[in-house]
Amino acid sequence: MKKFLVILLLAVLGYYIADTYFDIGFGQPHFVKSAAPVKDIYLAKTQNPLKVSNAVTSIVVNFRGFDTLGEVTVLFLAVTVLGSVLYKKRHHVGERSVLFNSSSIVTSGSKLLFPAIILLGAYVFIHGHLSPGGGFQGGVIIATGFLLMLLAYENYSVSHTALSIVESLAGITFAGVGLLGFMHGGTFLQNFLPSGVMNNLFSGGVIPIIYIAVGFKVGAELTGVIYTVLHEKGENNG
Amino acid sequence: MVGTPVLFVAIPLLAAFLIPLLGMIWKELVRIVPGLVLTYLLILSVNLLNHVLVHGPIVEVIAGWVPPIGINLVFSAFSGFLVVLMEFLGLLVWAYSYRFKRNVDYEPALKYFLMLMMLITGSVGIVLTGDIFNMFVFIEITSISAYGLTAFYKGRNSAEASFKYVMMGSIASTFLLLAIMIIYSQLGTLNMADIANRIHTMKPAYKIISYIFFVTALGIEAEIFPLNGWAPDAYAEAPGPVGAAFAGIVVKAAVYAIIRYTYTIFDLSGTLNFLIIIGMITLIIAETAAIRQEKLKRMLAYSSIGQMGLVLVAFGFGTKEGVFAALFLMLNHAIIKSLLFFSGSYLVYNSTEKKIEEVNGMSKYLPITSLLFALGAFAIVGLPPFAGFWSKLSVMTAAADSNMILIMALVLIVSVVELVYYLRVVNRIYFFKKEASIKPHRPTINAMVVMLVLGAIILVIGFYPDAVTGILHKASASLMDKGQYIHHVLSLKQ
Repeated sequence: MKKFLVILLLAVLGYYIADTYFDIGFGQPHFVKSAAPVKDIYLAKTQNPLKVSNAVTSIVVNFRGFDTLGEVTVLFLAVTVLGSVLYKKRHHVGERSVLFNSSSIVTSGSKLLFPAIILLGAYVFIHGHLSPGGGFQGGVIIATGFLLMLLAYENYSVSHTALSIVESLAGITFAGVGLLGFMHGGTFLQNFLPSGVMNNLFSGGVIPIIYIAVGFKVGAELTGVIYTVLHEKGENNG
Repeated sequence: MVGTPVLFVAIPLLAAFLIPLLGMIWKELVRIVPGLVLTYLLILSVNLLNHVLVHGPIVEVIAGWVPPIGINLVFSAFSGFLVVLMEFLGLLVWAYSYRFKRNVDYEPALKYFLMLMMLITGSVGIVLTGDIFNMFVFIEITSISAYGLTAFYKGRNSAEASFKYVMMGSIASTFLLLAIMIIYSQLGTLNMADIANRIHTMKPAYKIISYIFFVTALGIEAEIFPLNGWAPDAYAEAPGPVGAAFAGIVVKAAVYAIIRYTYTIFDLSGTLNFLIIIGMITLIIAETAAIRQEKLKRMLAYSSIGQMGLVLVAFGFGTKEGVFAALFLMLNHAIIKSLLFFSGSYLVYNSTEKKIEEVNGMSKYLPITSLLFALGAFAIVGLPPFAGFWSKLSVMTAAADSNMILIMALVLIVSVVELVYYLRVVNRIYFFKKEASIKPHRPTINAMVVMLVLGAIILVIGFYPDAVTGILHKASASLMDKGQYIHHVLSLKQ
């Protein structure tokens, strides 16, 4: 009886929620019904004062750059929390568990692929304001490069100190650019560089700088996560 | 101009990224820098509040785009009051933990202080922001730090508590995003003032669904009744000072968000009655649960949930007196519950089970800590001449003004219940014999100073409530004046 009531309640709730969301009509050309939606202003301003060819980039890094700074912090905190939960004293950290060694095809292939992956990641975050890429995507690509190396080589290691320095410097750059905008333009994260010519590599004001910092930060953080998870093993089975 | 609200977010973020580097130079900086940041922000918040009380709210624009295009921060008398309270408590929690966490390794200490600082920053961000998606980001920052702090002591129980919290927190985030999605799809904007200005054009059914989603999501952090399953476990398993930070800072931010949505953004009728009903249910269930607890910190946690129910009831009156009473309750609860958590965690410091029985006869070994715990217990119950008396009295007068006799009776009955379970603990501290197996742990000098400061504030507010009522009246007036909020934000020109 109790279960039946719960299911009935959930069904009624589900019906109303589903009804609402079908009625909104996601994916329709004009799903935002309001008279003065913010999105039109975003699209117009992306072209003219900002001179950025990718509207998503201009929204993420310029109009709503504060949210992106927050999301970067969320990632930073997630890595910190993971490190604190998995923390073990230095002499308790065991070796990585390797069930079987990777074949010579994987080891030699990864040596070839690794620089290419890093290069692709760098390309993606440097061209964040021109293409649908960006700092987060580029950083993830770089981290996959390190994941490949860690999988291919049993004794491949990444310096924890170096990762933490890169991470910190990248974060400081983001927040520092924001404060520089505060000093030069009067508001936090304001664009204080000339916006340049559209579609050039040097355009978009501070957007490329922020995206490069985000790329380094995300790359270093995700590499750190992979490394922490692979290496933290108890003393008993290590 | 004395400073701008964006520094409340920018400075701690910069410090958070800088601290790992500074720690490589000198390990002690990891502990010192968060304190310096919090001290600076406390001074800044007091200055800004003084400015705002005279000159009206400060609306800060970010990235040079005026609302509704960009994100904005609003420092009004209401949000400013909460920011001052949070930064002050944050500083006290930092000072209390400075030596409390002395015995841990360098790396856990680094992570502890980072997470603590971000917990405070996220909560302050929730209060300051004028944009619903930005609020979501700050809620994420706060909750992720809270998960980490809950699991700080490694062990089965804290892992379970943290996992529960993560599960409920993730559901909360999902609901929040769904609610934001409905609002954006209907109004094409995320700015709170702009939404408030145009929400009457939205279909009522959508308004109700998004309001319910918002309250469900924020209710998890605000410890509203059916959603507070995480709270007792998290409070019991997290380190002592973190319990105080949860009760004094995180919960206050979530309650602020619910109140902001109810009073400023949505124009639904009946939401105030809804607040009264869920507040009453939370109050009754939590207080009856508190009386049955065997562990000290779980009892404090349930009492905290009950107090939040009372705050929601007071906000639900919808009158100026009601809002004033609710703010007074929030202030007193933040101060008194922090004192209870601080002193309580020393009373059960060296016991494994942290049971109430283990405080037996502590008054002989920890006289000042016991006295402060008793002071906090009397104050939160509402005995005169302590701070809690005035906030309970203002709830009663607000209820009387709104002709809600039932609620007056309920507050009195609940006070009796509170009296029973707090006096039970105080009785054990003073009139029972100590068990030989338990070795009391003396408070460090920092902790002692922090607890004495909190005790002094309780007495000052108790004997001289006018010290704070002026600010509280202005804060409640600023919350009630919806038109002024919308006007201040939307009148900015590029």
